Order: sequence, then structure tokens, then C-alpha cells
Amino acid sequence: MAFDNTGRNTRRNFLKAVGAGGVAATAGCLSFGDSGGGSGTITLGQPAAQTGDWDFLQPGVSQATDVAVQQINDAGGPLDREIEVQRRDTAVNPQEARSVVTQLVENDDALALMGLFSSEINPLFDFLQEQQTPVVTPWPGSGYLDTRGGDMGTPDNIDDDQWVWRTVIGDTVHTAGGARRALDEGNDTLGVINGNSEGARSWADGFVAAYEEGGGTVAQRVEVSLGQSSYQSALDRLFGSEFSAFAVSIPLEDATTLLSDWSDGGYGRQPILSDPLAQNDLASQVGGDLDGAWAASPGQAGPSFDSFVETYEQGGDAELNGWTPPAWDAMHVTALAIERAGEATPEAIQQNLGPVSRDGGTEVTTFAEGKEALANGEEISYQGAATPTNFTNFGNVFGPVAINVAGGGEFSQEEVIPAEDIRGLVPEDEY
Amino acid sequence: MGLAQNVIFGLVTGSYIAIAAIGFTLIYGIVNMINFAYGEYLTMGAFIGILTVGVLPLPLPLAAVVAMVGGGLISLLLARLFFTPINQTGPVPMLLTSIGLGLVLRNGIRLTAGQSARYFDTEAITFRFDGLPPLSVGSVDLLGGFFVTSEQLIVMGCAVGVFLLVHTLLTRTDVGIAMRAMGDNENLARVRGIDTQRIRDSVWVLAGVLAALAGVLLGIQTNVSAGTGFSQILQILSAAILGGAGSPYGAIAGSYVIGLVLALSTAFLPAGMTGISSAIAFLILIGVLLVKPSGLAGQEVREA
Repeated sequence: MAFDNTGRNTRRNFLKAVGAGGVAATAGCLSFGDSGGGSGTITLGQPAAQTGDWDFLQPGVSQATDVAVQQINDAGGPLDREIEVQRRDTAVNPQEARSVVTQLVENDDALALMGLFSSEINPLFDFLQEQQTPVVTPWPGSGYLDTRGGDMGTPDNIDDDQWVWRTVIGDTVHTAGGARRALDEGNDTLGVINGNSEGARSWADGFVAAYEEGGGTVAQRVEVSLGQSSYQSALDRLFGSEFSAFAVSIPLEDATTLLSDWSDGGYGRQPILSDPLAQNDLASQVGGDLDGAWAASPGQAGPSFDSFVETYEQGGDAELNGWTPPAWDAMHVTALAIERAGEATPEAIQQNLGPVSRDGGTEVTTFAEGKEALANGEEISYQGAATPTNFTNFGNVFGPVAINVAGGGEFSQEEVIPAEDIRGLVPEDEY
Repeated sequence: MGLAQNVIFGLVTGSYIAIAAIGFTLIYGIVNMINFAYGEYLTMGAFIGILTVGVLPLPLPLAAVVAMVGGGLISLLLARLFFTPINQTGPVPMLLTSIGLGLVLRNGIRLTAGQSARYFDTEAITFRFDGLPPLSVGSVDLLGGFFVTSEQLIVMGCAVGVFLLVHTLLTRTDVGIAMRAMGDNENLARVRGIDTQRIRDSVWVLAGVLAALAGVLLGIQTNVSAGTGFSQILQILSAAILGGAGSPYGAIAGSYVIGLVLALSTAFLPAGMTGISSAIAFLILIGVLLVKPSGLAGQEVREA
């Protein structure tokens, strides 16, 4: 009997303890999981290209993101809270990207996503709308996003929003710059060879459209599947036509094989490269035959570029590329949106990305300046490292286009085409 | 566009595939498994080659030999660890094991070797034959001028060397004859006193050696990265099945059919369809199997 009583007491006490523990644990979980309206750390997610075809660009973007977070936190952080970035690898694979976005939003409580490529956004666009979490990304150039994304110029009305913002200029802009240079060089007829991935095809489409709009003719266009051991057949077909220069849009490793084949085959003529190919590795591997090849890349000359570089170089030795300053801008404009909103929620960020970036307020180049101006009741306009970061209604930015030319086994910047010169080539309601 | 030039490109592509496909199909014929990790064997061979060139450093031909020896030993080790213990479970468990092993190896290589592609430091010499008279049929010039590079000649030369050595091995040596006997009927071979485990080990070593050679040659032409071999596995598998799974001679024929179809479809398909040349190769595979399910060499495809 005593044994039974003891047993009941023990069981009752055990159940009480478990119940109390459960309540405490649940409360604890709710508290720990809150990166939004409370007082803890604010989590932002970063889908990243740590592996895959574009992994060579990620170190620069990661470093820019990390030094931006450090600078923002050193300045007190938005709403006097710290920001942390949860980075997860998608390998630029849409299926993996979908899983990573779900993990970041559902498990990590990320309030905004600071990444995703065209190859991921385009097939996942409807899925991303369902997440109701702003995607502020330095990567995508795709023309698909020219008229998709942003807040439609109505920041207070979230119903017409499309939740994707890009801090890098779209392919439409810099391919227009590239097409203009190709025509200025007297190339009236071109050949085009591109990979069959979304990003590679998008660049080629944008370039061809701008080039033909400017009066040029494409004599031959050849599309190739990626990962081949040789591209000689495709080159043989391309160079069966008459043209003075040819445009190449394909990921770096395939481009190295393709252009080495081109060099071995002695096909000659002027290569025009898509912007991700302005890499010293490519120039050194292909060798002297590539000298004179050029790429029109998003310019790295926004109003705060110099101060960005100074901070960036203190954060590590990753190579700066065309997507590095936009990654810095994405982090800053998101932090300022949280500060202006006065609360940390996806909706608040979405509603304030436009107002902190567009013309009309006090121009600020750092989070600290923006935080101070907002505290004084002023409106602000963030001036970025890559571009002035004035978001269009579709969440796009304009900026200068840099022409990088290969020579002696490396690329160097030869010319910058100002944003104003290119803006006229892109209708306002189509970008 | 010249037909002769594209035939050369097709023969080069077929040579890469053939060297690897012989090893793949020998494993299928004698160990009775489809080894989906085989692409990673190519990758490991390529990495051994580039490490040997960079670290020791040895000339490229010697590095290729080191890679082949290393590839053979690794192949044997992996077989002893993962496949020999489940020899008796049948082809499906072994197939699934190889898929898992391939994933582990690929990601292990990626974690260990890092993200960047590596390149062999080679210089190609191009030999041109431009003075040939045209021999046109419609828009296609059957002859025309063409070129071939020293790298392409090396690849095709290596392939021919491998074919001769494998043929000699299979027809003139006890091990080779025992391999063929096992491929026909393993139980009967065992009854006749053949040490079947030793023959299996020999097959694993030979397959590893050939995969490593193919990996080094691919690395010379393209680059060395964690995905070097994986990107080729579908073509290798298709060549083996097209030729008649289990038959080395069929695998050689299948490889050149696929190489030629890849090159010629890129050259002659309508402009908007060149990006699907790989799919055309697989369509040919399906077509051949519908007409002749046993493949080109006539050997029945087993259940797997």
C-alpha cells in the first residue's frame, strides 16, 4: 500500500514537473524563436551559392554581407538590436533553393532573404510570393524580373507587392551598355553562343534584343548544353557564319573549356563576354588569344563605393566582383527599412524598402547616418556602393556599366558608361 | 560546315567515353552491378593526376600513370569496403549502395578539395588541313578543311591503346579468359576452379585504372573539379547499355555512336535545337533498344 501511495505521489509529482517543464519550454521556445517584434537578435536569411556553377562568386558576396552586418551592429543595429545572417547553400539549384527558403523562413525565422539567383527566382516566383517575405538580392540579372517585383510605387499598399528587390542592375541595363559598345566598335553583325541555363540564356536574350534594337544583326546563335567535355562542334557551327565578333554567355568552368577550344581551333574574331566571365582565372587559362575580349559588367561605382571598399578589405581577402557591392547595399537598405518601420517584421521591411531608398530624403551612405537621420524625424535616401540604390516601382536599380577588358592574363576596367547614358535605352515602365 | 571536322570531334568525345565505359561495363558483366559511383572514380583519378603534377611534381605522362595506379587501388579498396560484403544480395542493393557511395564521395571531394576548378598546365598544338578540295552534298561539305589538336590526338591514341590492351587481356591472358568465363556463367567458372573473388578484384582494379585515365584526359581537356566525372556518368551508362551491357566491345561501339551523334546533332540540328544535342543521343539509345533490346553487341541486358 505504502508502495502504491508512494507510486501515485511520485507519478503525480512527475506529471506536475513534466507539465510545468513543458509550459516553461514552450514559453522558452516562443521566446527564443522570436526574431521579429521582440527585443532579441534579428535574423536575416542568405540563400548562398557555396557550391555549384557560380560558387566562385560567393566568397566576395559573403564577405561584403559579413562586414556590412558588423558595421550595422557596431552602429547600434536597427531598433537597437543586433542583426545575424543565417547562410545556407542552394548550389543555385531551384529545388534546393525552395528547401532552403522554407528552412530560413519557417525554422530560422528569417525576416528577409538576402540572396537567390535568377535561375532560382524565376521558377520559384509564385512560391516566393506565398512566403510574404521580402527577397533583397544582389544576384539576379534576368529580364524576367524587369517588370516583376517591388512595391509598384505604393509602399503602404502591400496587396499589389511582389516581394522581390534586386540591388544589382538587371541584364537589360548592362547588356544595353554592352550592345552599345559592340555597335560603337563597328560590329554590325555578331555570332552568339550561350549555355542552356536560365541565367546564361537570359543574358544572351537581353544582349541580342538590345543589339538588334540598335541596328545590329545576329548572323548565328548556337545554344549548348552545359558540362560538355568539348564545345568544338558548337564552335564549328557558329563560325560557319560571317560576323566580326561573337558574344559568349555560359558559366565560368564551361566558358574556360569553350574558349580554350576556340583558341585551339584558331577561329579568331572578337569575343564579347557575359558579365560573370570577367574573371582573371578565365584570362589566365585561355591565354593571350583572349586579349582584347571584354565584358560589360554592373559598375562598381555607387556614391559610397570608396568607403565600402575600405571596410570590405578589412574583412578578408575575397576577390571583389560585380555582385559584391550590391550585397553590401542589400544589407544596408534592409537594415534601414527595419529602422524606419520601427518594427522587425517581413511586412514592415517590405513597406519600407522603397521609402528608404528612393529620391527625396536626406542622402545617407551608412547605416549610422540613416539611423541618426531617422531619429531626427527625417526621410532618408540610401546612396549605395554599387548604384545610388533608387528602387524603381518594380524593385530594380539603375547604375553605370563598367567595361572590363582582358589583357596579359587578367581583366582591367577600361571604361565606365554612365547610368544616364543607358537609362534612355530602357523604358521607365518596363524596368 | 564540314562533315569530316565534326566526325573528328565525335571520335574525340567517343574516345573519352569509351575508355571509361569499358571499365563500367566490365563491372556490370562480371560483378553484376551498375556502379553509379563510377563517375566519382573518374574524378578521383583526375585529382590524383593534378596533385601528382602539382605536388611531386612529375611530368604529365608519369602523373597519368600514378593516377591510374592510384585509381586502381582506390577502386579495389572501395569494392572491398562496400561491394564485396554484399556480393550475394543481388544487383539492386548493390546499385543503391553505389548511388549512396557516389553521393558521399562527390561531397567528400567537394569538402576536401574546395570549390575551385583546377587546371592542368598544357599547351595544345593545332594541325591544320585546309587545302582539301570540297566534296559537297547539299549544304554539307563531306570533306572540307579540318584541324586536329595534339590533345585530341593523345585522347584518341590513348583510346586505341586501351582497346588493344583490353583485347589482349581478354583474349590472351588467363585472367582475361577467366573474366570472360565469369561473365558467361559464374557458377560454372567456379566449378572449373576459377578463383572468382580474385577475378572480381581484378575487374575492380582494371575499372579503376581506366576510370582514372579517362578522368585525367577529361581534366586536361576541361578542368578538374568535384563534378568532373559525375557530369559524364549518363553518357558512360548510355554507351554501355547501347553497346550491350557487359560487353567491352559493345561499349566501345556505343561510345563512338554517342560521341558522333553528339557532334553531328550539334552541327546539323536546326539552330534552335542545338542545346538538346545530348537528348538526341539518348533518343538514339531508346531507338536502338526498341529495335534491338540486347544492344549493339547482342548481349542480353540483365535484370538490375
